[in-house]
Amino acid sequence: MAAKGEKHSPLEQFEIIPFTRTEIGGYDISFTNSSLSMIITVAVITLFLTLTVNPRSLVPTRMQLISELMYNFVAQLLSDTVGDNGKKYFPFVFSLFMFVLIGNMVGMVPYQFTFTSHIIVTFALASVVFIGVTILGFVNHGIKFFTFFYIPGVPFYMHPLLIPIEVISYLSRPISLSVRLFANMLAGHTLLKVFAGFVVAMPFFTGALPLVFIVALTGLEILIAFLQAYVFAILTCLYINDAYHLH
Amino acid sequence: MPQLNPEFFVSQLFWLVVTFSFLLVFLWRISLPRISNILEKRERKINEDLTAAKELQSEAENIQDKIEQQLKQARSDASELIKSSSASFQDKAQNEITKLEKELDEKITDSSNKIEKIKNESLNQIQSQINEITKLTLSKVTSFEVTDDEIKNAVQNLERSLN
Repeated sequence: MAAKGEKHSPLEQFEIIPFTRTEIGGYDISFTNSSLSMIITVAVITLFLTLTVNPRSLVPTRMQLISELMYNFVAQLLSDTVGDNGKKYFPFVFSLFMFVLIGNMVGMVPYQFTFTSHIIVTFALASVVFIGVTILGFVNHGIKFFTFFYIPGVPFYMHPLLIPIEVISYLSRPISLSVRLFANMLAGHTLLKVFAGFVVAMPFFTGALPLVFIVALTGLEILIAFLQAYVFAILTCLYINDAYHLH
Repeated sequence: MPQLNPEFFVSQLFWLVVTFSFLLVFLWRISLPRISNILEKRERKINEDLTAAKELQSEAENIQDKIEQQLKQARSDASELIKSSSASFQDKAQNEITKLEKELDEKITDSSNKIEKIKNESLNQIQSQINEITKLTLSKVTSFEVTDDEIKNAVQNLERSLN
């Protein structure tokens, strides 16, 4: 593999290729393959949810049923974790879930760029959640929100140890949330690329073996794509719940 | 690793903000209200249908009860009617029969009286004719002049001895 040079690195697929070089006010807003895949993702979601749903139909078609299932899936998720308070955040959680899910799925299409495999994107999404939830906590509880780090029912001499741990774990939420998604996408796509390299590199017949692995791994990656979107959404719900219910 | 190259961080953040904001606003304002409307409409329709079905069922049960009551009433009415009409028929028949019997009795006594009368009359006639015949016979055969009383006595004696 290494003999073939830098050109065929398994990480090459994560390279950002600018289609235009645009700057506004000194900020770079170049339209890249990452931007394209974000736009494709948003287009797929909005078109699907618009075209499959007929507002007058009492009995859904199959495609409409998919839209309704996704709606109910996220609504159920939110009501299970947050309860009635969660209804206001449904559009945000639903958008987040769909954006990550379809972003991951678009990334599974060959030659498509996976924007969720970029730490800056996932970190930005996780930061929105983190900052939003922190503001929500202060709005709901005021200064009392700091009691979130105080765990009741623990011996007093443990607090000097536990409070820093709680603070650190709270502050690391955006990192864990973003790295989880980013690392899963990175690892999955890299693995696929490595096996694809084996197919090419191995002698004539043996190349079929890694191909079988690629087929199996693609299935696994689709599962992970869904799972990571689900995890992202459910953790967002749990954080929202924390902003309402302190310990 | 291309992910750690900050060259396109700003561009990616810009496009992320643009696309995600658009998605959020679009879903929030257009897609999700449409789906929730459909789901609510369906829920409402199902509930309405269920309540309507329940109402119809109770209505049907009421009607069934009414029908059963009416049937019961009709049956008891009919049996009462049969009872009363048969009783009245029996009474009528009884009356008719007693009337007939009385009439018959009257007719029988009438007839037997008549018969008695006729019998007596005939007996008397026979008596006088016997007397007449006896008198005639005696006057023709013999020359005895016999009175009516004598003949009567003789006949009576004869009758007595016959009896």
